[in-house]
Amino acid sequence: MSVTHYLVLAAILFTIGAVGVLVRRNAIVVFMCIELMLNSVNLTLVTFARATGTIDGQIMAFFVMVVAAAEVVVGLAIIMSIYRTRRSASVDDANLLKY
Amino acid sequence: MDTVAAEGLLSASWLVIALPLLGAAVLLLGGRRTDAWGHLLGTATVVAAFVLGLLCTVQLAGVEGHAVDAELFTFVSTGSLDVGAGLLVDPLSATFMLLITGVGSLIHVYSIGYMAHDPRRRRFFAYLNLFVAAMLLLVLGDNYVALYVGWEGVGLASYLLIAFWHDRPSAATAAKKAFVMNRVGDVGLALAIFVMFAQLGTVSYEGVFGGVGALAGGTLTALGLLLLLGACGKSGQFPLQAWLPDAMEGPTPVSALIHAATMVTAGVYLIARSAPIYDLTPTARGVVLAVGAITLLYGAIVGCAYDDIKKVLAYSTVSQIGYMFLAVGLGPVGYAAAIAHLLTHGFFKAGLFLGAGSVMHAMGDEVDMRRFGGLARRLPVTFVTFGLGYLALIGFPFLSGYWTKDAIIEAALDRGDWAGWLLGGVAVLGAGLTAFYMTRLMLMTFFGRPRWTEDQHPHESPSVMTAPMVVLAVGSVAAGFLLVQVFPLDTWLEPVFGVPEEAEHVVAPALVGLVVTAVMALGVLAAWLFVGRREVPEVAPARVSPVVRAARRALYADTVNESLFMRPGQWLTRALVWVDNRGVDGAVNGLAATLGGSSSRLGRAQTGFVRSYALGMLGGAVVVAGALLAVTAG
Amino acid sequence: MTIEAPDLSLAALAPLLFVFGAACIGVLVEAFGPRDSRHPVQVAVALVGTLGGLVTTVLLAGTREVTAGGALAVDGAGLFLQATIAGLGALSLLLFAERNLDPARSAFVVSAAVPAGSVRDRELLTVQRVQTEVYPLATFAIGGMMLFVTANDLLVMFVALEVLSLPLYLISGLARRRRLLSQEAAVKYFLLGSFASAFFLYGVALVYGATGTVRLAGVREAVAGAEGGTLVVLGLALLVVGLLFKASVAPFHTWTPDVYQGAPTPVTAFMAACTKVAAFGAILRLLYVAFGTEEWTWRPLVYGVAIVSMVIGAVLGLTQTDLKRMLAYSSVAHAGFLLTGVLGLPATGDAAGSGLPAVMFYLLAYGLTTLGAFAVLTLVRSGEGEATHLSQWAGLAQRSPLTAAVMSLFLLALAGIPLTSGFTGKFAVFRAAIEDGAWPLALVALLASAVAAFFYLRVIVLMYFSEPAVDGPTVGVPGLPTTIVLAVTAAATLLLGIVPGAVLGLADRAAIFVG
Repeated sequence: MSVTHYLVLAAILFTIGAVGVLVRRNAIVVFMCIELMLNSVNLTLVTFARATGTIDGQIMAFFVMVVAAAEVVVGLAIIMSIYRTRRSASVDDANLLKY
Repeated sequence: MDTVAAEGLLSASWLVIALPLLGAAVLLLGGRRTDAWGHLLGTATVVAAFVLGLLCTVQLAGVEGHAVDAELFTFVSTGSLDVGAGLLVDPLSATFMLLITGVGSLIHVYSIGYMAHDPRRRRFFAYLNLFVAAMLLLVLGDNYVALYVGWEGVGLASYLLIAFWHDRPSAATAAKKAFVMNRVGDVGLALAIFVMFAQLGTVSYEGVFGGVGALAGGTLTALGLLLLLGACGKSGQFPLQAWLPDAMEGPTPVSALIHAATMVTAGVYLIARSAPIYDLTPTARGVVLAVGAITLLYGAIVGCAYDDIKKVLAYSTVSQIGYMFLAVGLGPVGYAAAIAHLLTHGFFKAGLFLGAGSVMHAMGDEVDMRRFGGLARRLPVTFVTFGLGYLALIGFPFLSGYWTKDAIIEAALDRGDWAGWLLGGVAVLGAGLTAFYMTRLMLMTFFGRPRWTEDQHPHESPSVMTAPMVVLAVGSVAAGFLLVQVFPLDTWLEPVFGVPEEAEHVVAPALVGLVVTAVMALGVLAAWLFVGRREVPEVAPARVSPVVRAARRALYADTVNESLFMRPGQWLTRALVWVDNRGVDGAVNGLAATLGGSSSRLGRAQTGFVRSYALGMLGGAVVVAGALLAVTAG
Repeated sequence: MTIEAPDLSLAALAPLLFVFGAACIGVLVEAFGPRDSRHPVQVAVALVGTLGGLVTTVLLAGTREVTAGGALAVDGAGLFLQATIAGLGALSLLLFAERNLDPARSAFVVSAAVPAGSVRDRELLTVQRVQTEVYPLATFAIGGMMLFVTANDLLVMFVALEVLSLPLYLISGLARRRRLLSQEAAVKYFLLGSFASAFFLYGVALVYGATGTVRLAGVREAVAGAEGGTLVVLGLALLVVGLLFKASVAPFHTWTPDVYQGAPTPVTAFMAACTKVAAFGAILRLLYVAFGTEEWTWRPLVYGVAIVSMVIGAVLGLTQTDLKRMLAYSSVAHAGFLLTGVLGLPATGDAAGSGLPAVMFYLLAYGLTTLGAFAVLTLVRSGEGEATHLSQWAGLAQRSPLTAAVMSLFLLALAGIPLTSGFTGKFAVFRAAIEDGAWPLALVALLASAVAAFFYLRVIVLMYFSEPAVDGPTVGVPGLPTTIVLAVTAAATLLLGIVPGAVLGLADRAAIFVG
């Protein structure tokens, strides 16, 4: 399998994640779609690391994982707080601010 | 133009601006504590500025070259960007300085009486002081940025003062109209300044005038036209004239100071100051001529039809400034004539407005001339001073207007070509119309049968109001003679405009004077035949000729504005959004309507849904990526 | 295999160490400090950290070096923007610390975990306890921003982006009043922000793949050697999208009005002032350093989004009735004006032309002004909290002439009226654009400023020429912190308008990127 296959796979995953953000209502699922996007980038990074023969890409993937973990903490805290108030995790319900 | 560094009193010329500014600051920040003496402070600062200005001018006369640059401070000085703030005191700016502070002082004094019963008098004087300071900065700055700052400052003060009685919806609307139309002009001026910067890297008068010679013809013409746009906006010239008559909603002293004597002449100042630019671009200068000629006729025709005393005077102002534009458009031969007419006009028009204010004061703020009549006996001082101003305006021989208007007409005829004849003819025709509408105004106000109601008791105004009127009346009588014959203004202004070539007179000056006087007499006679001889109906007759009907509607200027800007604006809105524009109402004009409409429609896109925002971002990202790929591929 | 320790110039890192150190100490204080004295201690720690950062950046002036193994570029532009962020950050922290205005003693909720509107929540409104977690969080955000503008490496840039964003997501959800709005703002900001970060990260990956490096200088060399092609262009596009989001440039601005309106006003002030500086610092560094040779690829794009941003911001601002929202759209328009300046460069080698200093000055001027404007918003209150609806501001000048005057000053500066800092800034960026031949853009910018001037002036007219409502809002008497903020920002707005020479000169001298 050539490098291209991995890249295409990562691009497909990224697209799925992006589309998921657009079509899913549950904030947790939306958030998971964003995580999917980040992980598809990880796949891209390690693929490129392999292709260019440098190790930077793999190290970056670790950085991304750490950052993503921090993002999960913050994100879940915010989503939880609004869920407790509204008893709903639907992003479409959060619609007071507009125009 | 060579300038020397300021010395002695002249290096304190900044005080002329600082004094009124200080007055405004004290009055605005001092709050109610200053209510009791605020108006006196406001007046005192302007009078002090006038005295100082007078001393500066006297000293200036002794300076070689008659031009002094007083460097104040360096505004911006980094790398290629270098804007110094300095003051330029030369004969031109000194003349304006005296006009502004002189007429300003008189009108401050007058306002003490006129605004005596207004609870917000302190604020009025604060704005008036602010105006004087900004106007002085406009004329005294030694670069276009300082001029622009003053330009915006007077615009702001004018806006505040038009809307001074903001509880009247008409005043608020008029202020808004003035604001919007002035913005159009301001954009022109701002763009002109940017062009100067981009092309010459400087905005100081010295640098710009030194460098314009190297510019391409097209750039010069663009520069001239942009400056003209700015001038038209501020001076109420065609096609941006509509705001000026509406601006009469402000208190009458404001109309006298800002919308007759000083601010509206800023456009003339701008073009006269930029003479070195216009000298190089005949095209732009030709447009100035056309604007002046069209406006002077337009104002005179419309002035014949209105019954509102202030509106008539306003259209007269529009028309007289048209004369000045015509004169500056003529080039070196016309500059001095324009400034001379500007000065005399400052005197008699300010006097006329103060007189009108005095009449309104007497009649309980009535402005409809059909309800006046026979006031000559009740208001003797007002009648005499107003009458002298009237004679000066229509160009009665040997009064102010006669000298300065004739000079402009002569200069126009001296061109010698068909355009000269055309312009001269227009100017003479304008003089006749001026005589007509002003005589009509005089007859309807001061003569004939009294048409006011029983409960009105016209009384002469207090002396604090009449005294300035008397001073201005004396000016209206004598200024022209003094400026043309005794202290020739063209000699005084020579350091600025250079020595004009001695033109060959196409028509002998005496003959011109004779013809103009004859046409004027014709106008007066016509007015007497149409108005003075008969009874004036208290309600304007409805069955009138199409010409009168057109004039009554300001020659359809608002209709034109509406169909040229508002309608297409609305159609555009509809086409853009495919929705009926029910939401768009009350907008000042088409532009605002379009913007407001598109604003609320665009606002719908801000749905409040996270997912639609994300969709917008994704779409944006795709467009960005696509655009970049297209650029690299192409 | 041995790993070489990267060279670290501690001196050059001092500002970052100061701020991040203060943030870490803040976390410790939060964990171990006694509750009663926590508030003053936290405020002191945060202020010492940010002011220390400010002072050290000033001391470092003139430094030009690449350190931390090439990951950080401490250069003139970076230090100028770091100092701007640290200064504006310290002022924002002062707004956070204001205790006199809200009857509940603070703008922040006591316990974010308590559901909004519950009984416990209403009880907590009356207690005098205040929440102190915001200080270390905000300090982390300030540190992240300062790292962002000196990042010389796409990975560090990404990490800094997250370090500055995550605390912001949290503190925008911590308003004491109108908690539903605040929480909604936090959710929106968080989801959209992470979405944008993912784009940025994908851009990093693509550029890495195409050029084999993430160092900005390395990317520059590779790009100049015409390597990469399509992949690099796609990567650049995604990187720019991520940064434009943070800078709230249309069409990536949609979060801005909602978040600005919902977040606690001190936080909104912080975001409007500091985030803008940080985001533009990164945009400038990315475009000038890494893609300086690819100018003709990105210029049309910046041209386009600048126009869209100015028009959207100015037009949508017209019909806003909420002042915070109006200022948010103003922020979008100003992002467009700033982009106008970004275009004004002949990016040749070390000289960045007139665009860079103009944008740097604009950022400083705009940051101070907008911070001041939001600070005024915290003063005007009705029973429910801040009175941000336009109609509530009618006739404010009669109630409180000073407040109205100060607000007018800020609004005039935002409108770009001469003798205020806004005019100088606009002048500088438009001139830079014109010098580089971006004529039509400057024209659009002028028209957009004219339109935008209308809605700023409308507020002034409303304050001065309308009769105040009977049950209108009251104007609170600010405590020392807010008074300091108002005095500093108002004085700076005036000074940068009247005698901007010194600061413009400083920006001119500092406008250098290394790396």
